[in-house]
Amino acid sequence: MRESFSIWWFAGILLLAYGVVIFATGIWELSHPLLNPPVLNNLHAPIWWGALLAVAGLGYTIGFRPRQAVHKRRK
Amino acid sequence: MHLTALAVSTQLARLNWIDILVIAIYFAIVVFIGFYLRGSSNTSEEFFMAGREMTAWIAGLSFVSANLGSLELMGWAGSAYQYGILAMHWYWIGAIPAMLFLGIVMMPFYYISKTHSVPGYLKLRYGDGARALSAVSFAFMTILMSGINMYSMAIVMKVVLGWDLNFSIWVSSVTVAVYVALGGLKSAIYNEILQFILIWTGALLVPILGLIEVGGWSNLRQQIATNLGRSDYVHLWSTLGHFTDNPMGVNWFGIVFGLGFVVSFGYWTTDFLVVQRILSADSIRSARMAPVIGAAFKMAVPFIVILPGLIALSVLPFHLVAQDVAVQTGQHSFNEVLPLMLVRYCGPGLLGMGVTALIAGFMSGMAGNVSAFSTVWTYDIYGAFLNKKATDKHYVAMGRWSTLIGVLVSVGTAYLVQHAASIMDYVQQLFSFFIAPLFGTVILGMLWKRATKEAGFWGLLAGTVTSIGLWLWVRNDPSALRYVAMSPNAKDMAENIYRALWAWIVCVLVTVVVSYMTQPRPVAELEGLVYGASVLPQEHDDHWYQRPIVWAGIVAVIFIFLNVAFW
Repeated sequence: MRESFSIWWFAGILLLAYGVVIFATGIWELSHPLLNPPVLNNLHAPIWWGALLAVAGLGYTIGFRPRQAVHKRRK
Repeated sequence: MHLTALAVSTQLARLNWIDILVIAIYFAIVVFIGFYLRGSSNTSEEFFMAGREMTAWIAGLSFVSANLGSLELMGWAGSAYQYGILAMHWYWIGAIPAMLFLGIVMMPFYYISKTHSVPGYLKLRYGDGARALSAVSFAFMTILMSGINMYSMAIVMKVVLGWDLNFSIWVSSVTVAVYVALGGLKSAIYNEILQFILIWTGALLVPILGLIEVGGWSNLRQQIATNLGRSDYVHLWSTLGHFTDNPMGVNWFGIVFGLGFVVSFGYWTTDFLVVQRILSADSIRSARMAPVIGAAFKMAVPFIVILPGLIALSVLPFHLVAQDVAVQTGQHSFNEVLPLMLVRYCGPGLLGMGVTALIAGFMSGMAGNVSAFSTVWTYDIYGAFLNKKATDKHYVAMGRWSTLIGVLVSVGTAYLVQHAASIMDYVQQLFSFFIAPLFGTVILGMLWKRATKEAGFWGLLAGTVTSIGLWLWVRNDPSALRYVAMSPNAKDMAENIYRALWAWIVCVLVTVVVSYMTQPRPVAELEGLVYGASVLPQEHDDHWYQRPIVWAGIVAVIFIFLNVAFW
């Protein structure tokens, strides 16, 4: 059996899911400040880190979507 | 890592539902991959070798990921806090030259021999004696190490999150058992790629935010020197003139020849746990490129492991203490530095990713152990000595069962360690007993046509016995350290390094002497196994920059530059 799902597609899905969750958490924290914020909370790491993960994840999810993986036989 | 030290510490953080969601997504994907790949592991070649169809990137990343276990992550972050930047040697000189050597020199012989394992190569080169010795020792130690890794992870989860030990042990080990038993090596490799990405995305924020907090690398160096009242924590080489000049109690000779040559080459070129990933490559070119790619990423790992330990020396408002002190006082030990830094910089969601990174590290290490164990057990013990004529289907079934049994024995080891913490330190040293002499046996077998069957067995046995003997000698008479490690001021790390060096020397000497006393094999029988007796397949790259040797050269130049920059 030759897999139709590339490992890089799985990686993209994982990064995209995490990016969306982390980014959404960061946005939520803007209006609901944490009671015990971590150090450097003013840099809003969840927002830019989550966005970065989501963009990278989206790129891999689209670039290695199953149809393309079958044609190019990438894993 | 000292277990009781961790166990008595107080809980550091509490996860909220976002963190739980992040962890749940990870578990869902890894189990899905196991079920998804179960249909592509029907033959032994597919189950144990992933069908030998992995690209260079996949084989290379899983090669590094299998090594990046939970002990590796938390243990070396703790070592960086304890010993400073010297811990970096285990990532650079203690890995990079060996990985490049594997790709450029050794991999062609492993690959064209079509062996399924390192003990399998010994069988082809030296016969059944050397194979049996290395297979039994590897299987035994691998499964014990897997259990110790499991317990380390569980105890950290208890300290950081207050999770029950049994919950952590069983959930994580059953998950690994499911996806490896279903999808074999391919499933392990696929998950190792995800785990590698997760470890980076989960841990990378700590050094980034840490460097912002301390004001950059130069400020970090100054603050560490001010806080500790000494400057030897931030120099890689300039303090290695003598055992007493640095916090690790080691000298340059031990680092270069003991760590950089014997320990490093032994682990990265003959430990089947990592070599198995490269053997799954789809071509000899991929097999040569994979360790080079792995070396490039390995060189960057200190950024997420060593740097957090150094930053902690500057920013933590309290001091971490040695393990035995932590047991008595309830303070945090060195080994908790990475979770402490995660909690310092990561709020909800990010903390869940950081914890997932630690879990992923554990699972990649454990999957590496059980998949390697399953292969060696099935091919080199069961198939070689107990049942030689079974069908391919039977061996695949044995591979699945040995994976499950290997996980169960690992769980048993985890509980054993819980009641006898000192076993953990011993077993880790035991593991090193077999690796250094094995490198002597394999490298002579690959590069020297004259090495004989009898010499392979007796050299390996003599090296292993020497290593164990030296360890027992120092345990019974600590003053023997002046002979074993060349100095009474040497510390544990130095002792391990020098013991490996002696074991390798004895192995090589015995192999050479016995070889000259016994009859060599005809050169024709060594085709595909030994340098000088084999015609290596020609590789045709379209461009010069596609050659593995070119990329190995680039990695080597960066490696030298980094060592000089942090001199």
